[in-house]
Amino acid sequence: MVGKYDIEIYNNKVHYFLEVNRNITILKGNSATGKTELIRLVSEYEANGASSGISLKCEKKCSVLTNVAWELRLSALSQTIVFIDETADFIKTKRFAELVRGSDNYFVIVTRDDLSQLPYSVDEIYGLVNVSSTSKYKAYKKVYNEMYRLYNLNPIQNVNPELVITEDSNSGYQCFSHIFDKCISSNGKSNIYESIREHKDKKLLVIVDGAAFGPEIGKIMGYLSLNECKCVIYAPESFEYIILKSELLDVPNEIINQTYNYADSKEFASWEEYYNKYLINLSQQTIYKYSKTQLNKNYLGKKALEKIKHVLPEQIQ
Amino acid sequence: MLKIYFGEFEADNYIFNPDVYFNNTYEDEWIVDKISVEMIKDIDGSKVMGPRLIDSPFLGSIPVERLSGGVKTLILMNNDDSHVFNASACGDNCAKWILKIAENKDIMIRLGYLMDFGDASFEVEIVNTRKLVHSQKELVIEVLDNKLI
Repeated sequence: MVGKYDIEIYNNKVHYFLEVNRNITILKGNSATGKTELIRLVSEYEANGASSGISLKCEKKCSVLTNVAWELRLSALSQTIVFIDETADFIKTKRFAELVRGSDNYFVIVTRDDLSQLPYSVDEIYGLVNVSSTSKYKAYKKVYNEMYRLYNLNPIQNVNPELVITEDSNSGYQCFSHIFDKCISSNGKSNIYESIREHKDKKLLVIVDGAAFGPEIGKIMGYLSLNECKCVIYAPESFEYIILKSELLDVPNEIINQTYNYADSKEFASWEEYYNKYLINLSQQTIYKYSKTQLNKNYLGKKALEKIKHVLPEQIQ
Repeated sequence: MLKIYFGEFEADNYIFNPDVYFNNTYEDEWIVDKISVEMIKDIDGSKVMGPRLIDSPFLGSIPVERLSGGVKTLILMNNDDSHVFNASACGDNCAKWILKIAENKDIMIRLGYLMDFGDASFEVEIVNTRKLVHSQKELVIEVLDNKLI
């Protein structure tokens, strides 16, 4: 499935808006913010349609997957936005992760626990909040909710890191080690915490692939909130995304700005995979022929590095 | 004292889905208990009208079964000592109530995320490592250093 979809669902008491634009969206947040109520509305609409008294506006079919015969039901769904509540115990299983990979459905999952088997983006973790002021919407009136992004990863101003830690150990690390004076690799996203802990006395810049870092971000932000160290997280979609955005190659704007229209969930488990494949194909016959394992030396030339640096936020250039 | 098991927990008395368990096991007197009334007011913003009726500012008059999963789990923790409940059903706004319930008795819960227990000091046993922690900082570091989640 490709595309970006607005979902609006309401009855005479509550009213939800949300937007999904890739295969996995995670909903979390405080108790009593309406997550389970949202799932209940989708479920009742699915079972009873308009006669439920619920209105659901979405270009795609919306469905709720529960513990009951979930694998069988999922196999029957196609081009559907699938809602799953935290009461479904299969969401942490390897089998579920296998079925999400290659599915032509989008998934909206309510969970506070990290789903380490799924490659979801830091940008697709949302909390439901009430946007109605109590003075305007009193008791027994509709509550309008909107989705907000939980993690604001925009770096603070004037970041002059003493050490840069990259999640990537291959091309991304090779490039960043030419841009920053002191750069090390954590050798994978699951080692980022250890790397930060080990160097907590330094001023740190940590560069991760945001497109699949969702399962780790809660832990890292939980640690950083303790103010044990000065550390900024920079989470672009991926290193390949930076290259594509750098204008070293001729990349149509839509590929970058409307990736949701191209990264088919059936083929790509995350946008990181999409950007990687796109870059490899695009650069094949050029001097910038790209390989994830070994960075082509033409990316390390002065002009190329300047263009790559230009993509980074001002505060860390 | 509060004891927390982090990560995937397996035991015969473990309740993964406290929401459904509550619906099928709660007693009327649990709802009108003073601390339940306070928790329902604080977490859900709702008023207990009686053992079988809740006045919700958003949903109107609702049965007890429509309380939030978080507050249902808190009520279970306070009233059912024979089970270990999945506290991932509770958001950060439930943390102070979990600590309060544990002031008067030993309770063990399971967590799969870093619940924010606030800035004040507390005493919690991390069951996986049998370590006592006394602040959010100690808790976070103990959990992450040992890769418990």
